[in-house]
Amino acid sequence: MKRFGIFLMVAMLILGMAGISAAETTLEKIKRTGVFTIGTRTGSAPFAYINKQNEWVGFSIDLAGLVHKNIEKKLGQSVKFELKESAPATRIPLLSSMAVDLISGTMTDTRPRRENVDFSLTFFITGAQFIVKKGSPIRGVQDVGGRRISSVQGSTNERELRARYPQAILVIFPDQPAAFTAMTQGKVDAYTNDGIQLWGLKYKAPNPDDWEVVGEMYTYEPYGMAMRKNDSDFRHVVNVALMEAIEGGVYFKLYDKWFGPKSETPYPLSPEARNFLMLQVVPK
Amino acid sequence: MLLSGFFGIPYDFRWSVLWEAPHYTWIIDGLWMTLRISAISWVFAVLLGILFGALRTSPFRPLRAIATAYVEFFRNVPLLVWLFFWYFGAPEVFPEVIRQWLIHHGMEFWSAVAGICVYHGARMAEIIRAGIQSIPKTQIEGALSTGLSVPQTYRLIVIPIALRLIVPPLTNDSLGLLKNSSLAMTIGVAELTFATRQIETYTAKAFEAFTAGTLIYLGLCLGIAFVMDRLERKFAIPGLIARTERPEH
Repeated sequence: MKRFGIFLMVAMLILGMAGISAAETTLEKIKRTGVFTIGTRTGSAPFAYINKQNEWVGFSIDLAGLVHKNIEKKLGQSVKFELKESAPATRIPLLSSMAVDLISGTMTDTRPRRENVDFSLTFFITGAQFIVKKGSPIRGVQDVGGRRISSVQGSTNERELRARYPQAILVIFPDQPAAFTAMTQGKVDAYTNDGIQLWGLKYKAPNPDDWEVVGEMYTYEPYGMAMRKNDSDFRHVVNVALMEAIEGGVYFKLYDKWFGPKSETPYPLSPEARNFLMLQVVPK
Repeated sequence: MLLSGFFGIPYDFRWSVLWEAPHYTWIIDGLWMTLRISAISWVFAVLLGILFGALRTSPFRPLRAIATAYVEFFRNVPLLVWLFFWYFGAPEVFPEVIRQWLIHHGMEFWSAVAGICVYHGARMAEIIRAGIQSIPKTQIEGALSTGLSVPQTYRLIVIPIALRLIVPPLTNDSLGLLKNSSLAMTIGVAELTFATRQIETYTAKAFEAFTAGTLIYLGLCLGIAFVMDRLERKFAIPGLIARTERPEH
């Protein structure tokens, strides 16, 4: 009888805790814990990476910093800003297990992903290309037949290549550094990822001139920040932060810092992309 | 649904992702790869284990030293590091012809086999050494006094008995090898863990995918444990190794 009583107490405790977390929104959770945690990358320059000074920085992290400020404004209290490593394969589980509140890295907004998470406005547009050794016969997606192509597990371009170009021999790695090293060592003929990330790798490599980014973009990759589903208050706070940044010009200053002509990864913003970003901003 | 409510995490279970095309083919391919990589690595690991385990008990000092060096070197580096070494490191110093040949003949697979077999070979060598050293000295002396040479004593007396003694710890390490083969996915081998992660990344159904992986590994390991248990009984030397259910007196 005594044992049954203990069992009942434990069961009630667990159910009670479950009840609290099930009802809690992201903003309530941040208010209660005083911490805003994002999941981001460590090897995806210039979006989120560890730089030479051993600091965790990048464009996506700066944008998440703006969201952080907006959360503090909304809650009227100061909140700690924490970063956690998240890979393509782990980011959705990290969100749904409440380990992180927002994914801000290099995550493409897709329809299947929207079945499981909600996305913010698009904050960057790119598409998949290839990085190869200079002089490689691979000039684009039309040349991948019979070639060994490395890719990161869980990325949209891996999925696209598998579905549309089954002639390619895919060698899939869990993370970008391994997949890129396999290419630089000649173990695969090309590494495919979003074009902007390949430019980041090229400029970060010891000999940038040895590598070429080639091919038309064969996928469309709009990057968004991901969050738990059905939490529109939090989503609004995230989106307002992005809209204010685009409208007020902070976004373009940050863009210049990470992708401008003086940055490590020059990547000019096309007029179409600029227009697209501006059109996402709804009136005050 | 019950579980999702219990943990307080909004989550819809959809077990059908496991048998929808092409997901089930990934699981089958991954399982086949796990079995192949484990079986090949196991054979090499056991051979290395027998060789170096026996050498570690050899009366000849330089041979003992070589075997000790092998064991200490290979068992004291994490397996993950060995895999990176055999894939990203070692092939870079091979002659270009061999390197190119390897690249086009499953370098990922063979690097994983190399990493796993040298690592588990070192562990198995220790198990086999323990088995050999548990044989009474008098038995070895007896064998030598019948006129057998040292190698003959090893081949005909010591190793056959030692192999029987070490079945339980060897089973343990063999199961470890099978489970450790999951690390091969870090160097691009599409084995079982890779397949479950692949399903997870395509469908975002982490719980279902990893449950499938868990159950398949559990099934495999239980199967191996069962077979090894049968082997242990079949090859037991009556009267030599006491078994609780078969008392000799």
